[in-house]
Amino acid sequence: MKTAKTTDRRKFLLAAGLGGAGVAAAVASVAPKAKKAAAAAAQPAQGDGYRVSEHILKYYKTTEV
Amino acid sequence: MRQPLLAEEAARADFYALLGRLFHAAPDAALLGDLARAGPIPPTGDAALAQAWQRLVDASSAMDEDAAADEFDALFGGVGKSQVSPYAGYYTGATAVDHPRVRLRDDLAGLGLGRREQVNEPEDHFAGLFDVMRVLVAGGAGRERAALEVQRRFFESNLKPGAGKFLDAVAGAQGANYYRSVAALGAAFVAIETESFSLD
Repeated sequence: MKTAKTTDRRKFLLAAGLGGAGVAAAVASVAPKAKKAAAAAAQPAQGDGYRVSEHILKYYKTTEV
Repeated sequence: MRQPLLAEEAARADFYALLGRLFHAAPDAALLGDLARAGPIPPTGDAALAQAWQRLVDASSAMDEDAAADEFDALFGGVGKSQVSPYAGYYTGATAVDHPRVRLRDDLAGLGLGRREQVNEPEDHFAGLFDVMRVLVAGGAGRERAALEVQRRFFESNLKPGAGKFLDAVAGAQGANYYRSVAALGAAFVAIETESFSLD
């Protein structure tokens, strides 16, 4: 039952193109900068202190970090 | 032993990362450059996603970071002045007592997630919601990816309810140009996620 549904979901995602080489490569080519920028933005700045603006601070971290 | 992510799951995490990043702050020159050089998405899959991707790629090649920053500030910047609220609670008819942020905090605590120290932005900012999904889908920072059911529950409780209205508001905002293409990509991707979660 669960397996059948999971297969449906996977089929759907593959049909949508998410598993295709084109989508994976295209979005993977921009993701590292997206992730890096997010991580960098969430670091406390040195020297002039943490820069706070109303729309900039939206990052979560795991408690394991 | 951690299994590598399937290609479609990696792509989901990457879309969440990109959307989280673009609603966190305007794209800088490096990200605009990467987007402008990104390959096309074949039209054999989801047509809306492929079209939205191409629009974003084209828009990224025509945009510079100063103009992107100005647009971002005009749309989302400034307390009480922003044209578009980036907070999910704004779109879900939040009341003070049962504000979605209250449930969201509980959900995040249950997942072992929380705001970084010194972050005082409310948790229901869409940049944060997309980023939580990225972490749940792909794992990272020493944590395993979350079970699909956990992803589904967070998506349906916290992201999906306000996402449609938020992305519509971005797309329809006066002064939105580059972010129209971001909103279109977000809408196409959220639609895929919504349907896929309904299948499982």
